[in-house]
Amino acid sequence: MSATLHTFGRGGIHPHTHKSLTAGSPITAVPPPPEVWLPLSQHIGEPAVPCVQKNDLVKRGQKVAEAAGNGVPIHATISGKVRPLDKRPHPTLVSAPSIVITGDGAMTEIEWNEDPAWRELPHDEMIARIREAGIVGLGGAAFPTWRKLSLPPDVKVDTLVINGAECEPYLTSDYRTMLEQPQAVVDGAFAMARLVGVKRIRVGIEADKRAVIAPLEAAARAVERDGIRLGVDVCRVRYPQGAEKQLVESLTGRRVPPRALPTAVGVVVQNVATAVAVVDALRWRRPLLDRVVTVTGDGVPEPRNLRVPIGTLLAHLVQACGGLRDGVTRVVAGGPMMGRALPRLDLPVVKGLNGLVLLTGRGPLEDGYGPCIACTRCLEACPLGLEPDQVSLRVEAGRSLDSAPFGALDCYECGSCSYVCPSGRPLLQFMQVAKAALRRAEELRIAT
Amino acid sequence: MSETTSPTPFVVAPGPHVHASESTTRIMWWVNAALAPASLWGVWVFGWPALAVAGSSIAGAIGGEWLAQRWLGRKPTIADGSAFCTGLLLALTLPPRLPWYAALLGGAFAILIGKSIFGGLGFNLFNPALIGRAFLMASFPLAMTAGWSAPRPWFGAPLDAVTTPTPLAVLREHGFPAALAAASAHGSPWMALLLGLRPGSIGEVSVVLVALGAAVLLARGIIGLAIPLSVLAGVALVTLPTGHVGLHLASGGLWLGAFFMATDYVTSPNTRGGQIVFGLVIGVLTGVIRLYGGYPEGICYAILLANALVPALNLWFRPRRVALVGSPS
Repeated sequence: MSATLHTFGRGGIHPHTHKSLTAGSPITAVPPPPEVWLPLSQHIGEPAVPCVQKNDLVKRGQKVAEAAGNGVPIHATISGKVRPLDKRPHPTLVSAPSIVITGDGAMTEIEWNEDPAWRELPHDEMIARIREAGIVGLGGAAFPTWRKLSLPPDVKVDTLVINGAECEPYLTSDYRTMLEQPQAVVDGAFAMARLVGVKRIRVGIEADKRAVIAPLEAAARAVERDGIRLGVDVCRVRYPQGAEKQLVESLTGRRVPPRALPTAVGVVVQNVATAVAVVDALRWRRPLLDRVVTVTGDGVPEPRNLRVPIGTLLAHLVQACGGLRDGVTRVVAGGPMMGRALPRLDLPVVKGLNGLVLLTGRGPLEDGYGPCIACTRCLEACPLGLEPDQVSLRVEAGRSLDSAPFGALDCYECGSCSYVCPSGRPLLQFMQVAKAALRRAEELRIAT
Repeated sequence: MSETTSPTPFVVAPGPHVHASESTTRIMWWVNAALAPASLWGVWVFGWPALAVAGSSIAGAIGGEWLAQRWLGRKPTIADGSAFCTGLLLALTLPPRLPWYAALLGGAFAILIGKSIFGGLGFNLFNPALIGRAFLMASFPLAMTAGWSAPRPWFGAPLDAVTTPTPLAVLREHGFPAALAAASAHGSPWMALLLGLRPGSIGEVSVVLVALGAAVLLARGIIGLAIPLSVLAGVALVTLPTGHVGLHLASGGLWLGAFFMATDYVTSPNTRGGQIVFGLVIGVLTGVIRLYGGYPEGICYAILLANALVPALNLWFRPRRVALVGSPS
C-alpha cells in the first residue's frame, strides 16, 4: 500500500460523502418489475432501431432493437409481451421513443453457453461481442464501450485505468461491485487490457474504499499472465477524483489536454461496472441486462444498492427501499454533484444511471443568489484552473462572448465552483451559457 | 409504507444539488465576531466615548445601506452583515473622542459613496470603511487627529487629559525614546503596545486582540496569509533603516489594516501572485507615508491606493490553467 495518496494537481472540493448510508448494503435484486420501458436512446449516438413487433413474446436477453450508426442494440430485460412503440418520459431526454414490455413475472432468460476460449478471442470478435451486448460506459457517461475500445491505428496507449474512484457523494454502487465481484472486475479489466494491447492496469479508488484492495489484488494474482499486471492505486477522497482527466493525472501524472481524450496521453479509462459487463459479453455472449443502482438519501427509509433490470421504473426502486419519506424535495438521477433533478418517478432506469439520490429540505438556488464578492473560492476549487467568477460576471452583463479567455469552453461541468460559492451563484450554469454562446458564435463564423 | 407519489412536486433545479455550508452572510458575521475582542477592548480602555463612536458609525453604515437600497429599489440586505462590518471597521480606525455625529456621517458616507454608488456589495473599487475614514480625515481634520485619549483612569493616565498623541505621532515629532514613553506611562512600553494600554484609535490599540481575531478568520479559511504577511514585510522593509522596525510593526492600525481591511475580498486581488504584490505595495506605502509623508499613520491611504491597482493586478496575475501547463511526463 502506498504511503502517500495519489491525487490531482489543483482544485477539488471535499463535500460530505454520506456514503455510510449504503456502503454496508450488499447488492440485492429488486423484485421482478411489472413492466419495463426501454428507450431507444440510452447512449451517446444514434438511437437503436426496433426489431420486434407489438404483441411479440420476448425472453429476457432477447434483442429488441438493432444498433444504428455507432450506437449499440437494446435487449429485453424481462420476459413478457411487447407493447406498441410509444413515446415515454426519459430521465435526460424529457421523452423518447421506447419499447415497452409488460412482464409475465417469470423473468425467463435465454440460455447462455459459456465460450471456453473467451480469454483468447481475436480483437474484432471481442469488439463485436461487446457491441452486440449493448454495453455503454456505466459510470454515467453512457458512451458506447466498443467505440471507446476501438482505438484508431495511430493512437498508442500503454495503460488501462479502471475507474473505481466513485467520487460523487452518496454513491456506493461501484464500491459494492468491487467488493462483491472482484473476479469479474479483474477479468473484465484483463480482457480490455488485451483488447487495447496494454500490459499495465491501474485500478483507481478513493481512500475510503480500501476494503476492495485485497480482494482485487487476490483476484488479479489468480489470472495474471501475458505479462499484464494489475495494481490498485489509492487516491485522496477529493471530488472530482473520478473525472477521467483528474484520475488519469492522479494515477499516471499525465495531464490530458483540454477537450482531448485520455488516449492523447496513452491511457484508456473504463468504469468498474463496465468491466463486469464486458466479462458477461465475452464469456457468455450475455448482453447488459441489469445494472447496480444506489438508491439513497434521507428521502428513503431504507437506502440500498439494488440490482435492477434496465428499463425498470424508478418508482419500483423507491418502493424497494421503503417508499418515499415525507418532505422529499429533490430526486437526483446520478450523484448530487453532476446528477440531474428529476420531476417524477415514472421514469425508466437507463444504462448510464448509477444512483438515485432522494433529498429533503431546501437545496441550492431555491433562495436565489447574491453578487460575486470576489472571495476566490471558485478559483481555488476549479480542477482546471478556469475562472468561473469572471465568466459569471460577463454572462450577467450580457457579454458572454467575452468570456472565452476565462476558460468557459474547457469546462467539463464538475460543479465544484457552484458548490463552494458563498453567494450561492449558479456558476456552472453561467459557464454553460457562455459555452453555448461561444459555440454558436464559432458556428456562425464558420458559416459566413 | 410503500408510497411512491409525493404530495408536493419535486424541485427541478440545475445541479449541483449539495452546497458547502459557507455563505456570504456567515462569512460577514464571522468577520464581525472576529473583530469583537478588539472592539470590546477598545470600548473598555477608552470608555463611553468609544462606545458612542462605534455605535454611531455602525448606525450610519446600516442607515446608509437601508437608504441606498430603498432609493435604488434593491432587495434589502442589511441582515447579511456587510454594512455592519463596514461600520464596525470604520469605528475601529477612529479616535475615541471623535464627536458621535462625525462617526455617524462617516458610516453613512462609507456605504453610500464607498459602496452603493458602485452597485453595492461586490462592485466597489475601494474599501468602503477606509473611504469613510478618508472622508472624515478631510472633513473633520482636527477631531480626527486630536481626538486621541489616553487609556481610562484605572490604567494610570488621567482621562481628563483629553488628548494625547499616539506613539507614532510622537515618534515622528520627538523620536524613538519619547515614543516609547508615550506608549505607556506604566510598566513595560512593549507590553502596553501589545495589550493596547496606550493612546490610539479604538480598534488598533491591542495588537494581541486583533491578531486573535485574525487567527479565527485564518483558522476558518476566511482569509489567507498572503496579503497580511506581505503588508507586514513591506513595512519592515521600508522602516528597516530607521532601526525602529519593532515599534512600526507593533503599533498603529497596521494589524487591523493588514488582516481585516487589505484582505477584503472585493477590493483585493484574486490570485496569490497579485495578493503578494498588493500586500507589498500597501506595506511599502505605509512605511513611506509614516517616514516621509504628512501623517504619522499611513495604512489607510496605502490600502486605498493599492485598491486602485487591483483590476490591473487581476489582469496581470491569472490562475494557471491546468490545460496550458503541459504534462510533467
